[in-house]
Amino acid sequence: MNVLSMYAGAILATIRRDAAIFVSYRFRVVTQILGVLFSLTTFYYIAKLVRPDAVGARGQYYAFVVVGVVIMSVLTAALTTAQIVRTELMQGNFERIMISPLGPIGGVVALAAFPVLYSTAFAGVMLLLAVALYGVPLHAAGIPLALVVGALGALAFTCIGLMFVSALLAFKSSVGPAWVIAGLSLLGGAYFPVKLFPEWIRWASEVQPFTPTVDLLRHQLVGTASLQPVELELLKLAAFTMVLVPIAITVLRLAVNTSRRRGTIMEF
Amino acid sequence: MTDRTAVAHADPRLGDHACLDAESRAYGVPLLSFEGIWRHWGRGRDRWAVLRDINLQLPPGTAACVRGCNGAGKTTLLRIATGILAADRGTVTVDQLTAAHSWREYHRRIGFVSAGDRGLYARVSVRGHLEYFAAQLFVPRAERERVVAASLERFGLLELAQRRADRLSQGQRQRLRIAASLMHSPRVLLLDEPRNSLDGDGLETLNGAVSELVAGGGAVIWCAPAGEDQAFPFDQMWVIEDGTLVAE
Repeated sequence: MNVLSMYAGAILATIRRDAAIFVSYRFRVVTQILGVLFSLTTFYYIAKLVRPDAVGARGQYYAFVVVGVVIMSVLTAALTTAQIVRTELMQGNFERIMISPLGPIGGVVALAAFPVLYSTAFAGVMLLLAVALYGVPLHAAGIPLALVVGALGALAFTCIGLMFVSALLAFKSSVGPAWVIAGLSLLGGAYFPVKLFPEWIRWASEVQPFTPTVDLLRHQLVGTASLQPVELELLKLAAFTMVLVPIAITVLRLAVNTSRRRGTIMEF
Repeated sequence: MTDRTAVAHADPRLGDHACLDAESRAYGVPLLSFEGIWRHWGRGRDRWAVLRDINLQLPPGTAACVRGCNGAGKTTLLRIATGILAADRGTVTVDQLTAAHSWREYHRRIGFVSAGDRGLYARVSVRGHLEYFAAQLFVPRAERERVVAASLERFGLLELAQRRADRLSQGQRQRLRIAASLMHSPRVLLLDEPRNSLDGDGLETLNGAVSELVAGGGAVIWCAPAGEDQAFPFDQMWVIEDGTLVAE
């Protein structure tokens, strides 16, 4: 059995365990679907108030905002990994991760896996509900590339989430994710096009992975015009991901070692 | 060479461990070694040394008891051995490996039962815990089912296999925690006040597991609060006083 398969086995076991805990709360999925239905319906009526040509072609705002809402759910799941780690610390379970051959870095990545995978799958369900209930025009031909974009985006968001885990382990603070989620939804154009921003702030939508993710997904799935050529946006997203992965791992390793030295790693 | 082959043959999963163990016996190399361990808590004027120059060597086939009053530093000592905490000075080695340089291989060789009753998932069954821990401890996939079944049997958890952890008694939780620490056949077992809520049968099972590990060439540190009855015929008895390790 090679080493990689042992790591993969440990991460899969963590995903299975988290899935088992998730389904043990029988009404959780029902309440999530109800929440999604309320959200989709609210935006359906808000879209009727929006100027017909506000986003691309006539009446495209609903499809535009639905994709934004769907991606927000993945972003939120990835960025709240720190809260999961905090719960593990409070319950004394992080100690088991620390003393396993999987180690703290692999363990934290494993903890992030189920929420991100589940939220990505649930995002697909949300999109299908919007198609079935409110007639969002889904472009089937764009789905394969959308899956690639979704995977890259989820990985990039997870890396940002790991940096918040690092802050939690090093400084015992996990207050950042809420405002980063709000900031990215604003600057990345989750609910409205970034071209509406004043010139001086538009750079902010260019320096994070949320904008290319949501823009590419919209372009592929519902046919809105992309901000830049697709190849360029794809390259930007891949570059963000490739830069964020080593940074996130390095920062997390530094945080673990610092808190091991300080003796605060098991505190919360 | 014969010795190596014999040990490796006894448990093929051990592989390199067995060879190292045979060498350790042959050359008197300790399986677990604390060398010059210092650890402070606090900062500035409030900084104090909880462990002062701890030196302890456990050759293969040794069980050591470390006693101490509450707050003496027993848990800190074990947490340093597990790599959870870093020592301010000094080194801990297992099979001549350090946690800093060989995290994976170091941790495949150690099992740890922490003090208290934490480290379990309320809504996960006993079997679910063992299956999860087996994978987390890198037990090969082909052996997991057998290892889980053996752990359930050995620690009297068979009838509780489907029961959620939050519906177990304290003693049953402790049996599960001990079972989990032994699933990967560690060479070194670190026990922090393991008698917690165990009944007579549970204590007997724990003693049996410790005896077996020691007989197989492993090493055990059993930390106990001062004044607790001796639970096992230990090879070494130590007490932590003012941060130093004193033979009892």
